[in-house]
Amino acid sequence: MSAAPRLLDAAERWFLARGWTPFSFQREVWDAYARGESGLIHAATGTGKTYAAWWAALVEWLGEQPRGARADEDGSPARGRARRDASPPLRVLWVTPLRALAADTEDALRAPLISLGIPWSLESRTGDTTPGVRARQGRRLPTALVTTPESLALLISREDAAGLFADLRLVVIDEWHELLGTKRGVQTELCLARLRALQPELRTWGLSATIGNLDEAARALLGVAAAPGSWRIVRGVEPKRIVVDALIPPVIERFPWAGHLGTQMVPQVVEAIDEGATAIVFTNTRSQTELWYQAILDARPDWAGRIALHHGSLDRKRREWVEEGLRSGELRCVVATSSLDLGVDFSPVDRVLQIGSPKGVARLVQRAGRSGHRPGSPSRVSCVPTHALELVEVAAARDGVERGAIESRPLLDRPLDVLVQHVVTVALGGGIEPDALLREVRSTLAYAALRDEEWRWVLDFVVHGGEALRAYPEYARAELDERGRLVVENREIARRHRQSIGTIVSDAQIAVQYLRGGALGSVEESFVARLKPGDRFVFAGKPLEFVRVRDMKAWVRRAASPKGVVPRWMGSRLPLSRTLAELLRARLDEAARGIYRDAEMAAVRPILEIQAKWSRIPRSDEILIERVKTREGYHLFLFPFEGRLVHEGLAALLAWRISRQEEITFSLAANDYGVELLAPREAPLERALEAGLLSADNLLDDVPASLNATEMAKRQFREIARVAGLVFPGLPRSGKTARQLQASSGLFFDVFQRYDPGNLLLSQAHREVLERQLETSRLGRLLERLERSRVVITEPRRTPPLAFPLLVDRARDRLSSESLADRVRRMQLALERAAG
Amino acid sequence: MNERGAVAIELCGERLQLLPERALYWERTATLLVADAHFGKAASFRALGVAVPGGTTGGTLARLDAALDRTSARRLVFLGDLLHAREGRTDATFRALAGWKSARSGLEWTLVRGNHDRRAGDPPAELGIGCRDEPVLERPFVLAHAPKPSREGYVLGGHLHPAAELSGEGRARERLPCFWVRPDVTVLPALGEFTGVASIAAAAGDSVYAVAEGEVVRILRA
Repeated sequence: MSAAPRLLDAAERWFLARGWTPFSFQREVWDAYARGESGLIHAATGTGKTYAAWWAALVEWLGEQPRGARADEDGSPARGRARRDASPPLRVLWVTPLRALAADTEDALRAPLISLGIPWSLESRTGDTTPGVRARQGRRLPTALVTTPESLALLISREDAAGLFADLRLVVIDEWHELLGTKRGVQTELCLARLRALQPELRTWGLSATIGNLDEAARALLGVAAAPGSWRIVRGVEPKRIVVDALIPPVIERFPWAGHLGTQMVPQVVEAIDEGATAIVFTNTRSQTELWYQAILDARPDWAGRIALHHGSLDRKRREWVEEGLRSGELRCVVATSSLDLGVDFSPVDRVLQIGSPKGVARLVQRAGRSGHRPGSPSRVSCVPTHALELVEVAAARDGVERGAIESRPLLDRPLDVLVQHVVTVALGGGIEPDALLREVRSTLAYAALRDEEWRWVLDFVVHGGEALRAYPEYARAELDERGRLVVENREIARRHRQSIGTIVSDAQIAVQYLRGGALGSVEESFVARLKPGDRFVFAGKPLEFVRVRDMKAWVRRAASPKGVVPRWMGSRLPLSRTLAELLRARLDEAARGIYRDAEMAAVRPILEIQAKWSRIPRSDEILIERVKTREGYHLFLFPFEGRLVHEGLAALLAWRISRQEEITFSLAANDYGVELLAPREAPLERALEAGLLSADNLLDDVPASLNATEMAKRQFREIARVAGLVFPGLPRSGKTARQLQASSGLFFDVFQRYDPGNLLLSQAHREVLERQLETSRLGRLLERLERSRVVITEPRRTPPLAFPLLVDRARDRLSSESLADRVRRMQLALERAAG
Repeated sequence: MNERGAVAIELCGERLQLLPERALYWERTATLLVADAHFGKAASFRALGVAVPGGTTGGTLARLDAALDRTSARRLVFLGDLLHAREGRTDATFRALAGWKSARSGLEWTLVRGNHDRRAGDPPAELGIGCRDEPVLERPFVLAHAPKPSREGYVLGGHLHPAAELSGEGRARERLPCFWVRPDVTVLPALGEFTGVASIAAAAGDSVYAVAEGEVVRILRA
């Protein structure tokens, strides 16, 4: 079958009426879809991917209508409730990673429906959807539904799930690269497998930015069972040329080496904003967004009302107001996180600034693409260093952009917590035979290699609670009914499971609300838990005073002074990508040879020369170890420049290996450049080096041992415990039962460790730290590199520039080979601790 | 009597031992005091569909055994929250308690009811645990669950699950369960295996004793 020419004409006419011509890639998608194919479309944001997928479904529908039937609908479609009830049942599911994008997507999808008089209903369903709309959707879903992975999982958990998707033709996964390599992405893979099982004719199309591993991305999207020839990867329009530069600090000597906020740069940032009509200032974290918004407003009070901030925790109405202001060009400047990386275009934007290092080439390209919509003009992004050494990262990132060195998204391998959650979800959704579910699960790339014993464990865990619970008949989550189908009978469990489906994304969120009136957005519960009444904090650009928590809301009032803590959201520290790390080492090697070939490197030269004078700039075939004594104790700094995640693993490994030499206690820090090992007395470095401190041998024993000696797996378990349904977000309506179920993930970890050490969720925590957090293979390659490297030990009298950021880093792990009591005897009560 | 790892203190003229099993031994009256056992907590989680492994009840009882074995206690007083919740009143839990009790026939048990007990209900009468509402006056002490100062005497209580946050040179940090000895109240650490902790804010005049694995260590203020 091929799309009838007459109908494709309808699409072309619609485009022409808007002064557009369909791109050849869009025509390719329409044809492929009409032939029943699925696929992955990759191109930069704002280049027509949305309509490539959407029109495919519209053309199909037009083709199904009897000739002439549409004529009377043109122009004046029936409105209101009658129209919605008469609209065709669910045909298109549009999944977007951020609920903030749903409204924009809905607008873009609606335009052709209205002008062609297509009688489809189109609605969103996300965490933002009002109870009224939810109830209506509970009775009947619209023809096209824009939703998030979590809301899709919720649909699948409905008892009438099978009937909901009976007429589903197309599922679109928007911004697939954002989901790929995350647990939400795996959740999406599982949901897609479920949809395909319910509706075998279903076609799946993914929209993605260009990434390094597109083939894997397509296989994850379409499943391993997709037949060759039934899908394709479609490349969108060629990317624009991208210019990367930096705002160079005027006085580099006084520039903070480790400042968390380069407020010194505010005048230049303001100047840069002034150059254009509309600017987006991207930051890497939500807290930076709040800080920069305040700093820019302080510098230019006359911009009040024409500058805004945007991040995913803000209330929907506030986000929408900001997005509208960007589109209309009314706003001078928006300070944003990745919440504005994605989604449809904001054409008036002509200046993009990036605060701090972009940490990855792909990310920088994505953000740069937000500017320069005039034909022929390049996209330009200016990076604003928050400490001097970030200038080296900017230079390295430019090298990456010029060479087209776009990162891959490493995929997750069969995370069992997500599978445990999904099995309960499907059991809720009308029940299923375990064997059928297993076939479905194994059709996903994430679980293609799922072993029989792992599947049995997951089933056993869901039904009996696992081996350790066999003797406890009181346990019940899902059960096998008389027909051998997996079902959930207990309504309380069903309710709680549905509540926790959304928790893959994050910690429980607590709404922030004024005592009188307006909602501001939401922050993580863990942040609110640390606040005492009267504490000040900044949120949504407003200084607030915390009053109390009641009804699962943080009640606040306006505070007079703009000073206060800024919420530190989780996951705020992005690690340097492997690609960028490699480029960075090359740039430092040049500097070590006295080559400073562009403005950024010339600007950072004084700092690097101090580094060379006090210690050394490591060549790419060297590993630099600095030994420094301060008031705090004896520090060892090592600089492999391999990215923070790998360094965390390396720090634990090195500390563990040294602690085999003699009883010693370390405090560990790691950043993108290197690691710090701090001890109350001098560590036996030379002896440890001789014993193979940097050896790539015995990693299979040493890495897990060092991991067990730190809290890394325990921290990783937080997320696993939440996803697998062990800990519950204290959501509204939870009531008394939830209060009896309060236990921290740390407590679960300890209890499992002690009473059920074979629990696979525990092994998963270890595996995740090893494979994902530490990227074991990357750690192995790093040690092979270090083994070949020349070790250079320096003993600077003061802390040199490279080490300084590590010295002040507060996020630390610990590793000790001394007894706890011995260590505790040397300790005091921590002073800064607030009431518990 | 074996005092390894324990610390003896004096309060109101009475000698008390702080034991690493998270129990307090009152020498003159041969009474072992513990708080916040939360028996049946894991069972109540299981009843509500959360897969907590079994064995925590046995672990808590083993801790009690160790504390009793090192003292010559004739009496055992639970300072509240003996049981966690109504859902946790399972046969297995009560069987374990009864089995343990029968091996300790000479021992007198008392429960001073805490907030969880009030909802969970008293333990079955067959266990022979005398249940009393707080406060219970045993001069010079007031035995209670909630560690509120009392005009009647010096309070021994629980409820808070206190933990001390510690720091030291080389940026060392630890968070450990502790005995929190204040001018008018002593708060015991939680006994139960499946219980969490909450950090305390100690004031001048308080003494804090951390439970560092097999040893109680007095913590000095910075």
